[in-house]
Amino acid sequence: MGLHTRPATVIVKLLQNCKSNVSFTYKRETINAKSILSILMLAAKKNSNITITVDGEDASKVMGQLEKAFETGFGE
Amino acid sequence: MYSVQDLHEQHGGRLDFELIAGKNGMKKRIKVPEAHRPGLGLSGFLKGYSYKRILICGRVEIEYIRDLEPETRVERLEAILSAQTPMVIVTRRYRPPKELIQICDQKEIPLMRTSMATMSLLSKLTMLLSEEFALSMSCHGTLVEVFGVGVLIQGDSSVGKSEAALGLIERGHRLISDDIVKIRKREGGYLEGSGAELTRHHMEIRGIGIINVANLYGAVCVRDYKSIDIVVKLETWDDKNFYDRVGLDEKCCDILGIKLPFYTLPVKPGRDVVLLLETMALNHRLKGMGYNSAKEFSTKLFEKISGKPGKKVPKSEEAYN
Repeated sequence: MGLHTRPATVIVKLLQNCKSNVSFTYKRETINAKSILSILMLAAKKNSNITITVDGEDASKVMGQLEKAFETGFGE
Repeated sequence: MYSVQDLHEQHGGRLDFELIAGKNGMKKRIKVPEAHRPGLGLSGFLKGYSYKRILICGRVEIEYIRDLEPETRVERLEAILSAQTPMVIVTRRYRPPKELIQICDQKEIPLMRTSMATMSLLSKLTMLLSEEFALSMSCHGTLVEVFGVGVLIQGDSSVGKSEAALGLIERGHRLISDDIVKIRKREGGYLEGSGAELTRHHMEIRGIGIINVANLYGAVCVRDYKSIDIVVKLETWDDKNFYDRVGLDEKCCDILGIKLPFYTLPVKPGRDVVLLLETMALNHRLKGMGYNSAKEFSTKLFEKISGKPGKKVPKSEEAYN
């Protein structure tokens, strides 16, 4: 169904304690992925392309977790 | 990418557009925010002529085309119209010459007719286009109007931006946007912030969830857009950091090439952020009215210790003397 409230909650929860700056870019709009409203604002549909940028000391760890979450469909 | 279709959909009603020909070219991009009357180009002088501009044909142009021989008409029109031309507008509801209609259909250039007078269309169109082509960006933060001052609150996640905004709303100030602010550089060198279409007037408060401020507190507590006057960065109190204690040196930040007063506000339990933000906004207004509390105080002190009342303080010695 795309990035609706539940997956967005999963993402925000996952990023809550990470130190890196995480941003999503979709349709030329870049947002802070730690804020749920920003993710929801993107209103990204299913199978759309989102560019994820992670910058910080725990970047690779965070990226791995995010990839896993996206691949498993946020536990759906 | 701003296309002719976007312009037609967004402002077609106000500009009274009526599509005559060239329907297939509606997806055409408008590349430069310029509209142009092709007077000289129509007479055959094409040195330095640019095809990227929107063409506007007013009374003079239409009369001139009518006066030309049919063959010359086609020749001249073909010379000024190219596949790059985004659109042609005929004003005052003139009926476009059939040659113009043909060429527009052929080259897929949308041809519009409007009842507006040429000059007023030209000025309105220029204004709309320059707004549409203005520099813009979106940033993470919250925009609130406090005593008429547009305060952009920035800071890391969970530092308390939304909570501060909620407190301000509760005291009768207005929310423009929470979390994500779209900033646009406006004519006249100021910045205007607004919210995203979908999340406008919504806030996310940890522990409560997503709330609609306009519904909770009423229409008086929200605004769609507001100029940004000051930027405040909230950060968690750091004992090692030295925070501004006097307020004599003013910091600035740069957004889209415009300098804005910038304040750092440390947050810790016991500091009423809402009250502090209100004070900042008021102090900013006071400065705008020509009164700077910190400078005034420092001048008074200078007079007192130098023992010469009323002496004008040289600018360089004003600070900390």
